[in-house]
Amino acid sequence: MNASGIKFGLGVYTTLFLVFLYGPLVVLAILSFQTGPEGGPQFPIIEWSTYWYKHLFGLTPPSRIAPLPIDQGLGRSMLLAMMTMVVSTILGVTAAQAFRRKFTGSGVVFYLIVLGMMVPGVLVGLGMALVANTLGIERHWWGTAFVLHVVYTFPFAFLVMLAIFNRFDSSVEEASWSLGVSPARTFRKVTFPLIFPGVLSAMLFAFTLSYDEFSRTLFASGRDLTLPLAIYGTFSVEVHPNVFAFGVLTTLFSFALLSVYAVLMGLSVRRAKRIAVQEEA
Amino acid sequence: MTMTAVTEEIKTEKAAANGPSGKTLWLLAPGVLWMLLFLVLPLAMMLYVSFWTQTTFKIEPTLTLKSWITFFTSDTYLGALWTTVRIWLIVLAATVVVGYPAALFVGLFVKNKTLQTVLLVLCVIPFWTSFLIRVLAWRPMLGKEGAINMILMKIGIISQPIEVLLFSELSVIIGMTQIYCVFMVGPIAFMLGRIDPSIIEAAKDLGAGFWRIFRTIILPLSMPGVVVGAIFVSVMVLGEFATSAALSGRKVNLLGNIIVTQVGSLKWAFAAVAGVVLTILMGAVVAALLRVVDLRKEL
Repeated sequence: MNASGIKFGLGVYTTLFLVFLYGPLVVLAILSFQTGPEGGPQFPIIEWSTYWYKHLFGLTPPSRIAPLPIDQGLGRSMLLAMMTMVVSTILGVTAAQAFRRKFTGSGVVFYLIVLGMMVPGVLVGLGMALVANTLGIERHWWGTAFVLHVVYTFPFAFLVMLAIFNRFDSSVEEASWSLGVSPARTFRKVTFPLIFPGVLSAMLFAFTLSYDEFSRTLFASGRDLTLPLAIYGTFSVEVHPNVFAFGVLTTLFSFALLSVYAVLMGLSVRRAKRIAVQEEA
Repeated sequence: MTMTAVTEEIKTEKAAANGPSGKTLWLLAPGVLWMLLFLVLPLAMMLYVSFWTQTTFKIEPTLTLKSWITFFTSDTYLGALWTTVRIWLIVLAATVVVGYPAALFVGLFVKNKTLQTVLLVLCVIPFWTSFLIRVLAWRPMLGKEGAINMILMKIGIISQPIEVLLFSELSVIIGMTQIYCVFMVGPIAFMLGRIDPSIIEAAKDLGAGFWRIFRTIILPLSMPGVVVGAIFVSVMVLGEFATSAALSGRKVNLLGNIIVTQVGSLKWAFAAVAGVVLTILMGAVVAALLRVVDLRKEL
């Protein structure tokens, strides 16, 4: 029994595993360059073209294939993700800040918050729709759906911030207080810069989760569709390569978002280093 | 003045040890209130409405067991419950079987930290594509004229396209396994990475073969990871309806799909019953998994 043989076998397996993970996405990306409007969502590629990308933006002559209803959905989803990001990050930071002191009942509160990311969207969505119906509240993406998005993303922000505060040296804050700096100013000038990487991660989590969320939105959003709901609508009809083209574009958008995050993170790390160097000098 | 400040601080610390102090309370209040209003209240409402009277187009707050009786005497609903449990068990087993070897490689066999990180990041990258798009991506793969059939026919393994690949229970299982197995790989790789290499070295020196080391050291020490992964996968698969809607061609109806159709036809009470059944099922599964391994002790 030799370990290197096993290692080799597992290495080959892991490669196949990655093929399994990426295969469908690669196929989808290739098929998004199918010719249109007669080319279907299958091989072989009749002719390479960017027809379906133009189709997404309404740049093609009208055909029997209706354009995806994404123009308004995109704006709504962006705004919703922004709102969710801001609120859940604030809630996450404040709640995690409270958890820096031990208090009775912290276990219950912890599980109450974490429950938000565990309960499936279809259940909270249904519950919210029932509450709204009973109270006579109209369901909207910016109202009932928004509060559910926060219920989902707030726990992620909370956990990220909890991890950050766990490694946080509170003596710097105490030093600031003892020098007579007000708590609000201390938070702005001392605490916040130190926890900024965590806040950034919490924001990234909240934005991307909300942007992609649809099971909560499905029941709670009323008539106006968000972007994922528009995609969900195509499930019941014949799929055309325009959905694939859209998938490629949203993935690129996510990567753009990720690079913004990486740049900001890099800047904040570099600034921290520069300050450390200044202190040493 | 400093003295009073110090005594004050001691006081607040004492108060903090007893119960949430004023400041802590204010920091907690918004989040807790949000969760109570928008998470606990909706779930409680679901339970309450499941006992309401359902008429053709609306529900009335007259308490009755009728919806519950309908649920447990109807073949459709019981069938959906059974399908949900079956699919959940198959997908859970599939994610462990598919994910464990990959986690073993990444967590234990790759010693280079950079390569380890690269491999884990590679596993996470697909999550940057929308969930619904990832589900839909299986259609051109599995279809009658899909990529898999095409490749298999080119190689000459099959002469006729396999039709059972798409719009069947199999396609739902394949799709869910691919989407959720990363949630299994992550926790297992994490636990494996924490195994002290000297234990394995010692076992090797004492003449234990790989299988023996795997059975007696690696597997038991990775169990908490499997349980955490199983909790993630279970909760997500049990609450699913999109994958089955996209890939089964309405042949597979999970409890989630039942809820969606019932809401679509304004049968709120039935939807609520299905929701409560799903909640109970999920709670039981998570509680059972937590019984297997004491997470607080392990992590």
